[in-house]
Amino acid sequence: MSAALSQSSPGVLERELAYYRRECNDLGARLLRLQEEQSQAFREARRSRTVARLIREAYRLADGDVAPEEIGAPILEMIMENTLCDGAALLAADPAAGEGVFRVTHAIGPHVADAPRRLALPAPPSFFFTTSRTPIEPPAYELTAVLRLPYVLWAYDHPSGHALIIGNQSESNVSRPFEAGDQELIEGALSVYIDVLLRKRAEVELRAAKTTAERASQARARFLATLTHELRTPLNAIIGYSEMLAPRSPYPLTEASRGDYAVQILGAGRQLLGLIDGILDYSSIENAVPALATEWVPASKLLQQAVQMVSAGVQRRDVAIEPGTAVPGLEFLVDPLRFCQVVQNLLGNAVKFSRPQGIVTIAATLSGEGAVLQVRDRGIGMRAEDIPRALEPFQQIEGSHARSFGGAGLGLPIAKALTEAHGGTLCIESVPGEGTTVSIRLPAERVRLTLG
Amino acid sequence: MIAVGYAKHSDPATAVRRCVAALGPAPARLLLAFVGGKLDPHAVLAALRRECGEEVPIHGGSAAGAIAREGYGYSGFELGLIAFRDPEVTPRALVTRQLLPDERAAGAVLGDEVRSQVTRDAVVLLLFDSVASSAPLRLHHASSIVEGFHAGFGDAPLHLLGGGLLTDMNLTGGWVYDGREVVKHAAVALVFPPGIAAETAIMHGCRPVSTFMEITRIDGADVYELDGKPALAVIERMLGLPLGGAKGHELSLVATLGQKQGDPFAPYDENAYVNRLILRAAPETGAVTLFEPDFALGTQVQIMSRDNSLMLESVRRGVAAINSAIAGGDNLLGLYIDCAGRGSARSGAPVEEAELVARGLDAGTPFLGFYSGVEVAPFAGGPSKPLDWTGVLTVLRSARA
Repeated sequence: MSAALSQSSPGVLERELAYYRRECNDLGARLLRLQEEQSQAFREARRSRTVARLIREAYRLADGDVAPEEIGAPILEMIMENTLCDGAALLAADPAAGEGVFRVTHAIGPHVADAPRRLALPAPPSFFFTTSRTPIEPPAYELTAVLRLPYVLWAYDHPSGHALIIGNQSESNVSRPFEAGDQELIEGALSVYIDVLLRKRAEVELRAAKTTAERASQARARFLATLTHELRTPLNAIIGYSEMLAPRSPYPLTEASRGDYAVQILGAGRQLLGLIDGILDYSSIENAVPALATEWVPASKLLQQAVQMVSAGVQRRDVAIEPGTAVPGLEFLVDPLRFCQVVQNLLGNAVKFSRPQGIVTIAATLSGEGAVLQVRDRGIGMRAEDIPRALEPFQQIEGSHARSFGGAGLGLPIAKALTEAHGGTLCIESVPGEGTTVSIRLPAERVRLTLG
Repeated sequence: MIAVGYAKHSDPATAVRRCVAALGPAPARLLLAFVGGKLDPHAVLAALRRECGEEVPIHGGSAAGAIAREGYGYSGFELGLIAFRDPEVTPRALVTRQLLPDERAAGAVLGDEVRSQVTRDAVVLLLFDSVASSAPLRLHHASSIVEGFHAGFGDAPLHLLGGGLLTDMNLTGGWVYDGREVVKHAAVALVFPPGIAAETAIMHGCRPVSTFMEITRIDGADVYELDGKPALAVIERMLGLPLGGAKGHELSLVATLGQKQGDPFAPYDENAYVNRLILRAAPETGAVTLFEPDFALGTQVQIMSRDNSLMLESVRRGVAAINSAIAGGDNLLGLYIDCAGRGSARSGAPVEEAELVARGLDAGTPFLGFYSGVEVAPFAGGPSKPLDWTGVLTVLRSARA
């Protein structure tokens, strides 16, 4: 202990007090700085963990059953929670609207309801940020408008066309000023979003491909089942009657029965030909669609041709077709052969499912900007839940009554595919026991009215 | 009797639906809602009305975040709900909308109204919007409201708790549900029935790093001089950093001014300090502006440093003390009013202290908390005071147990 301290004179005590006060304040200041440095280090570490947290949370989201277009909002929530920003938005380049035009796909923030949903940036930067020192000129001017927040951090991924922007209302200790070092954060967050989005899209495509494959497999199975029934029946007839007509046949044959058997064989052969034509037609539709040879054809002529082509079946089934009515001068821009096949299929079905002495009507009228062609029968009809099945290939409606009509079930699928190839739609309305109406709607560009 | 719910979602209707589902099906007599600042208060109110009925009174307001056992956060998408279902536990609400013209007078009117309705030792929860205006930033001073409240209420024993409502940690705004609608410049006093008692622990986190200094020039919340020197220069010297302008905001992250209660030379006791956060610095005048204007000329203060380790220790101690105090009781609700600055995004704490509270409090007690701008709690055996940088944990319990 020093000599000075051993004395207790007032002057010494005052100096001692001053010494301790100074030391206390100096040590306190050092403690304060150390504490702040430690806090700063923790805050920086927290920020640097942001992308890691985003990745973890975003991929947890990716594992869930969420559609690609639904991940934007939860991703933005995660980004906002982890960066503690005031607003955030996801944008997608919209090349159809022009070079450098972006569409805001998702946005969260205090002013997004009033913010523009489109952004035009002639030369979109891949990274950008604004601070209180940033002059309000392009692109700061445009980017700060997206969230209507003055301080923004932006990243744009050129290859995918996606962009992310986050924003703050103020520059303070929590919402600290953005800086160049934030590039990793914003680009990391954008990458996470793009990765999850692509993954979800791939999942959807995979699921769609699986569904298509399953449907194709089901169609194949139905095709085989149909063949079993539809080929075997006429073949049995052909073989059976041929055996009876064959030389050294044990069956007693008269001239009349010979003729009758020959007619049966001819009918079964035609049935087989019809079936094979249908299968070939359906299998060739994909190739035929791009090769449609369209021309303007009077609607009345189309109806007339189709009616003529089903006239044999009409007589056989004792069904009448009311002469087709078409608006005078109405013309369709269609492939005459293919479109006639559509109408013929519809008429064929209507006749097939009509009761004896039933009436089938066909008409072509203007509807809205386009036109509608309707085939109506008052036959057996079908249940609402059977309509989608009727449009599937090789899919005959369940029930012995319907089944008894035979056929590969290709008429409607072929008609639908060819209608859609012409830019139209095919719609079925039906009531069991009352009949069915099939409507084909053609768009305006396929329809015209001519004078004379 | 009392149920709590917590949810987090950017869509107000979804947040409400999930939160109400967490409450369970029984109808509420009164709802207390703490709504994250990024959720539209009107949309939340409309959704609450749809889910819970048009008649139920809804109180509470904005919160910088919410805290529950199911989760916590300060993203602004959090929603915390407390449903009071039994008349024996449901508070009565008294409201003033007069904070803007005179905070003290509004507090006095509220205190006087409460006095006319309560018995001894009543529990009262006081909630108000902390931010009076954002540009320029001006707070509704809790010290003025509470001082007025005490003046209106008188000297009868009272367990007054409270919190200032904020929309976020940046003091952007705040608002109140007054029972029917979204309002500003309002204070709500929720007066609990006589059968309700409360145990409260205050968690701190600051310690002195300077000798005592005398405030030698002050005007309201603006402290111009400490020991005759410009206050900002004194603090800058301590920090070793030049501060001012926008950086003045950062002061509130670093240092506070603390006033020690009782014997100034008694050993350090965290419960002996009233801390005041620094709102901003003014280099042109050398002044610092405190959150509250309740220091006076001649007040002896110390510069206080936040200490994250101390904060976490304090939380562990406080929760243990509460658990010990409520053991075996009929515990109805744990409510945590937590200074938003204590969240690790702002404090830099390695552990979220709110999580320690949520996990540490007696598991059988329903629990909900919110991040606040200021906390009010009974202090050092005396009347309640507004506090900064604290966490106030209260457990409401049946007084008859």
